[in-house]
Amino acid sequence: MKGARDTNTGSSRYLSSGPLVWTATIACTTLLLVLLRQALWFVVPFLLAIILYYALFPAVRRLTLAGIEREKSAAIVAGVFAIAAVVAMVPTLPWLAAQAVSGEEAVSRYLAGGQALLDRTLVMLESQFAFLKRAEFHAQMAKKIAAFSGFYAQDQLTDTLLGAAVSLPALLLAPFLAFFFLRDGRRFLKFCTDAVPNAYYERTLYMVDRVDATARAYFQGLLKLTALDTICLGLGLLVIGMPNAFGLGLMAAVLAWVPFVGSVIGCAIVVLVAATDFPSDPWVVYAAIALFLFVRLLDDFVFMPLTVGRSLHMHPLPTVVLIFVGGAVAGITGLILVLPLAGVIMVIAGTIGGIVNDDRLRARNRFATTLRAERITSDLRA
Amino acid sequence: MLGFFRDRKETPRLGTLRQLFLFATLSRSELRVIDGMLHERRYLKGEIIFDEGEEGQTVYAVITGRVLICRQGEPETGKITEIGSGVIFGELALLEDAPRAAQARAAEDCVLASLSRGDFESLLDTHAVVASKIALQLARQLGRQLRDRSAR
Repeated sequence: MKGARDTNTGSSRYLSSGPLVWTATIACTTLLLVLLRQALWFVVPFLLAIILYYALFPAVRRLTLAGIEREKSAAIVAGVFAIAAVVAMVPTLPWLAAQAVSGEEAVSRYLAGGQALLDRTLVMLESQFAFLKRAEFHAQMAKKIAAFSGFYAQDQLTDTLLGAAVSLPALLLAPFLAFFFLRDGRRFLKFCTDAVPNAYYERTLYMVDRVDATARAYFQGLLKLTALDTICLGLGLLVIGMPNAFGLGLMAAVLAWVPFVGSVIGCAIVVLVAATDFPSDPWVVYAAIALFLFVRLLDDFVFMPLTVGRSLHMHPLPTVVLIFVGGAVAGITGLILVLPLAGVIMVIAGTIGGIVNDDRLRARNRFATTLRAERITSDLRA
Repeated sequence: MLGFFRDRKETPRLGTLRQLFLFATLSRSELRVIDGMLHERRYLKGEIIFDEGEEGQTVYAVITGRVLICRQGEPETGKITEIGSGVIFGELALLEDAPRAAQARAAEDCVLASLSRGDFESLLDTHAVVASKIALQLARQLGRQLRDRSAR
């Protein structure tokens, strides 16, 4: 019996890793994304609620330490947040309503501005390269862009705006859900952990800690990254002379939540605004592009390691595969969700794999079950 | 202003926690923070709590019952100590990833409170005062064990 365990050290031995765990992680992530796609109206507020939860959680802890019960702390923090949100919305709503009325016109204007910039660039390219002129590159591209713009403005844009308007009320669920996460989240986790047999208890606790740490590091890191990106982009756009510099910076930083595609879309929107507002000054556009490239580099080499970092502990290759899978299975939502979801599933799959491979733990569980059965049936035998 | 919301009642649960050596120096509000983190586990007589060599994730405190600390698989011949209510064991798990130094079994039916290393580490970040009070109690316990061993 002695020496039933080896004496490896390091928490990583708690997590099993191998082709089976990886296959299970990718399969479960894909399946969950497929299911989530069916409940998209719920996924976005749920995601926002998780982000809100991790943003407000430190305040709840502070109040608990000040001697206030957890329930009251959650209610106070959620209440203060709701009041602050309403106070912020009061002056913003009329402005948003005005923007919404002229929204379609503004989009058309900015698309036209972008098209004009593209025209000028293509003309310039044709004047520089003779083979482009011979191929009538400008005329061909202009025809295709006009066809795409017409299709987009008439069909896609209207559908997208209508879809966004319909899903807006569902966003009100986010603070509601966040309040319950703050109030009952820990109790729910304890409730789940308490249901686990004694033999697997420490492993489960470790798994819950890891899942919480992974999600917290990811979402709190994401918020910090968004704030840093907003400041850098806002300051940069302000120096360039763009209007609403910090508004545009914030929008681009939030769009960057979508891996790869988000940054490109954010940059494209700012370029469209620059091309429309400064039609005679192409250098503003070039400066905006340079700024985005610079902030992208800052993100990759400075901000990311400081904030989100390697919170998911995933190898770059499966990360890229998962991003493609997420995009293919559940579109934009899949792109945003796939990495944190896979990070959490990987911890769960690794823990289950570790338990399945641990004969000693399973033997202990069988022993405890026998003890309980004997205790329950002792009077029956007598 | 926060005093209005503050709960001044000492519940029986907080009284029980105060009896545990690890939390003996905590204030009521600090105990409430800890209470939210503690898990309560019930073990039958003879059931294994953890094995020697297993990587520890939590520290345990005996609320009721007795726990036998012994060498792996030798509950009778390899007995190291037997502890009762209020006493903590597996405390090194809070400090490092090191494997458990001995096996722990329930000497009789017992109820244990456990605090995980993850929660203790998050306490260090968010409630440094609480974490330092627990760490001080932990150091006292280790010092006491060291003195006991030297005396033997």
